[in-house]
Amino acid sequence: MAYSNKVIDHYEHPRNVGSLDKGDQSVGTGIVGAPACGDVMKLQIKVENGVITDAKFKTYGCGSAIASSSLVTEWVKGMSVDQAMQIKNSQIAEELSLPPVKIHCSVLAEDAIKAAIRDFQQKQGAAPAAEGEPQH
Amino acid sequence: MSADTDPFALFDLPRRHAASRDAIEQRYLELSRAAHPDNVVGDGTAARRAAVERASAVNAAYRVLRDPVLRAEALVKLGGIDLDSTDPERGAPHPTQAFLLEMIDLRERLEDGGPDGVAALRDDVEARCDAALDAAVEALDAGEVRRAAEHLVARRYFQRFLDETDSSAP
Repeated sequence: MAYSNKVIDHYEHPRNVGSLDKGDQSVGTGIVGAPACGDVMKLQIKVENGVITDAKFKTYGCGSAIASSSLVTEWVKGMSVDQAMQIKNSQIAEELSLPPVKIHCSVLAEDAIKAAIRDFQQKQGAAPAAEGEPQH
Repeated sequence: MSADTDPFALFDLPRRHAASRDAIEQRYLELSRAAHPDNVVGDGTAARRAAVERASAVNAAYRVLRDPVLRAEALVKLGGIDLDSTDPERGAPHPTQAFLLEMIDLRERLEDGGPDGVAALRDDVEARCDAALDAAVEALDAGEVRRAAEHLVARRYFQRFLDETDSSAP
């Protein structure tokens, strides 16, 4: 199966690999896994005044999973929390031209950013924003 | 699930994880011989094609039955949980956050550890991978399909880690 150029680019030059301080009140951490293949993804955001100022990820999985999380960290920087909550896996899949068998990698990235936002919101003591179940 | 996709039914074996290696081998020989295109009675492409398909189904079932992990996964699938599916009801059960955190932590230790550290880590995870299969088999024997599926999912994460250490080894 051929990877798209964008996937290869993110895979070879992943943006924002690393970790933020999990204990920091302004940091939200999302950890998700794909049970079928054993992929794990950790995505963290730093939020200041409602805006995501930094994002880091560590993904142990296939090229598409790495590219999906790398892309999301790029996208969310500068977004408000509410905007980031609106990111859909279909946008990620489209941007990276993911083939149907790799769509679940983009789902994983969407789940990860949502989990990170929820973690941040819980730290703030706010009720998590209402949202539907992630589309699988 | 039909006999085509139920390897136990195809091989006429009980749906149990404990399987006699000899019985599997013997049934494989019998079924392969019966399905061999040279032994097809009657001519015509339809009969021949059916024989080829049958032989291919026998080979696929044999591959599953002789492998303890695939055999356990097949039993879980027959019990209604498909580990290759992401369906929330019938798909692979999601591991806990604590487990996923640990999987990340293992990778970070792998990156930080020297060669000795990596070898020790590998041995440890290999043992846990084996233990997860044992636990899954025990759950299957007790008729607890979901619990078996959870152990098999954990096993896949451990296996994934081991595959990574293999590919990063010099």
